[in-house]
Amino acid sequence: MELRAENIVYEYDAGTGYAKRALDGIDLTIREDEFIGLIGHTGSGKSTLIQHLNGLLKATEGRVLWNGRDIYSQGFYRREFRGHVGLVFQYPEYQLFETTVLKDVCFGPKNLGLSDEEAESRAKEALAMTGISEKNYETSPFELSGGQKRRVAIAGVLAMRPEILILDEPTAGLDPGGRDEILGSVARIQKETGSSVVLVSHSMDDVAEYVKRIVVIDKGHIAFDDKPVRVFSHIEELESMGLSAPQITYVMHELRKAGFDADTNALTIKEAADSILSCLNIKIHGSAD
Amino acid sequence: MFKDITLGQFYPADSVIHRLDPRVKLAGTLIYIITLFIGKSFFMYIPAGVFLVSVIILSKVPPSFVIRGVKPIIPLIIISAVFNLILTPGNALVSFWIINITSEGIYMAIFMIVRLLFLITGASILTLTTTPTKLTDGIEKGLRFLTVFKVPVHEIAMMMSIALRFIPILVEETDKIKKAQMARGADFESGNIIKRAKAMIPLLVPLFVSAFRRAGDLAMAMEARCYHGSEGRSRMKPLVYARRDFIAYSIILGYLALMIVLRVFGI
Repeated sequence: MELRAENIVYEYDAGTGYAKRALDGIDLTIREDEFIGLIGHTGSGKSTLIQHLNGLLKATEGRVLWNGRDIYSQGFYRREFRGHVGLVFQYPEYQLFETTVLKDVCFGPKNLGLSDEEAESRAKEALAMTGISEKNYETSPFELSGGQKRRVAIAGVLAMRPEILILDEPTAGLDPGGRDEILGSVARIQKETGSSVVLVSHSMDDVAEYVKRIVVIDKGHIAFDDKPVRVFSHIEELESMGLSAPQITYVMHELRKAGFDADTNALTIKEAADSILSCLNIKIHGSAD
Repeated sequence: MFKDITLGQFYPADSVIHRLDPRVKLAGTLIYIITLFIGKSFFMYIPAGVFLVSVIILSKVPPSFVIRGVKPIIPLIIISAVFNLILTPGNALVSFWIINITSEGIYMAIFMIVRLLFLITGASILTLTTTPTKLTDGIEKGLRFLTVFKVPVHEIAMMMSIALRFIPILVEETDKIKKAQMARGADFESGNIIKRAKAMIPLLVPLFVSAFRRAGDLAMAMEARCYHGSEGRSRMKPLVYARRDFIAYSIILGYLALMIVLRVFGI
């Protein structure tokens, strides 16, 4: 499985006087079992880019290849392809429309031409993965809480069993608890299904803990595409793009400046805590000498 | 898919027409439409055409933009032309089956096309040169006298301005929901009419839900700022007639008089 974007250029209102270049030569390859964070400031082009990855927008220049086949070519089944590359938009809860939760989640698999039974079993599987309990299957999606609605909407895409799952700001508008819940389930889904996940966000803190690769996009260009640790080492460049490194990274840098041997590559709170403890130990030990 | 609709859109420019008081433009548009119905011959449409073209030139709106606003109405124009063509009695030029094409029919068809084109262009000039806010202000103040008859003029004007304000928002929302459902494999393009109508459900239900949600939010925000209708409400920019507005009124009235005279003398 491989999804490759080659030199994607996209212009809004192409051909008119107001043409605006949103993407300017993007090269990106997504392979099996990846967990990618796509980071960019508002207006950097990240939402435009992901709509190319499932063929909702057609690039002005360049191609998108799915397992080597051009998705814009004649005879390519884009509808089926959208089942392989699942895209969850921002505030996906606003796309719910069915009378029951289960029916709504069945919408995607049914559009792929699956039988009712198959669609239902996939829907149940997806709902279980996103942590919606069985007693909610027959309730109206409009009666659920905000966080639950969002998980149902994510399940709606998940039920198509995409090989790549792209989530656009899945934590927008959620409280910290809801945020951790959603990100936690996404990480679990990635691990369990082995599908690739692209997490789109403007916040490094959202993704630092989970992803294995970070793609930073700025003004329609890819600025960095690397392991999180390496990307975070470019604090100044990130800040000039209106982004920032995770808070942990700042803390560790400050500690280092203050003369502690803190590990600036720590990504999670736990790693940071361990590093701080160990360097405190040495300090205490050293002063006792 | 809604990008091409310019009817009802505002075109920002700095022109005499833009600066006119909205009441003048509303009255002018009304009078212009009346004169189109007074007009009975092509000859009478010459002054109407001159009037329209000079207003367009004065408004500094690019003609291509005005023409684009007419496009969505073309099917309507064609239908009315066809009906006039085949249903007007008179000297038959061509006749087959039950269809008689008469010379009067051809004349009427062309006449209707011109009349509708003039009508729509004239009306779209009003919205192209007047912001929705000013337009509703103009309606509110221009129709103030109706409050005597217990017509809630202010409330109607407020509803109109809110409705206009929400059009672009709902268009954008529709586009978003459409894309989201397409990402779930929805198909809006293929199939017969029934299948397509059914395919609209996943689009329309979320759209209605969000429209009601937005309406609720807006009502809450208005109440939070103590909105309570027209009573005792003052304006930041009250409408006041300037000299150019009186000049415009006299030109419009002169034009109306000319058209009446032409009609009475039956030219």
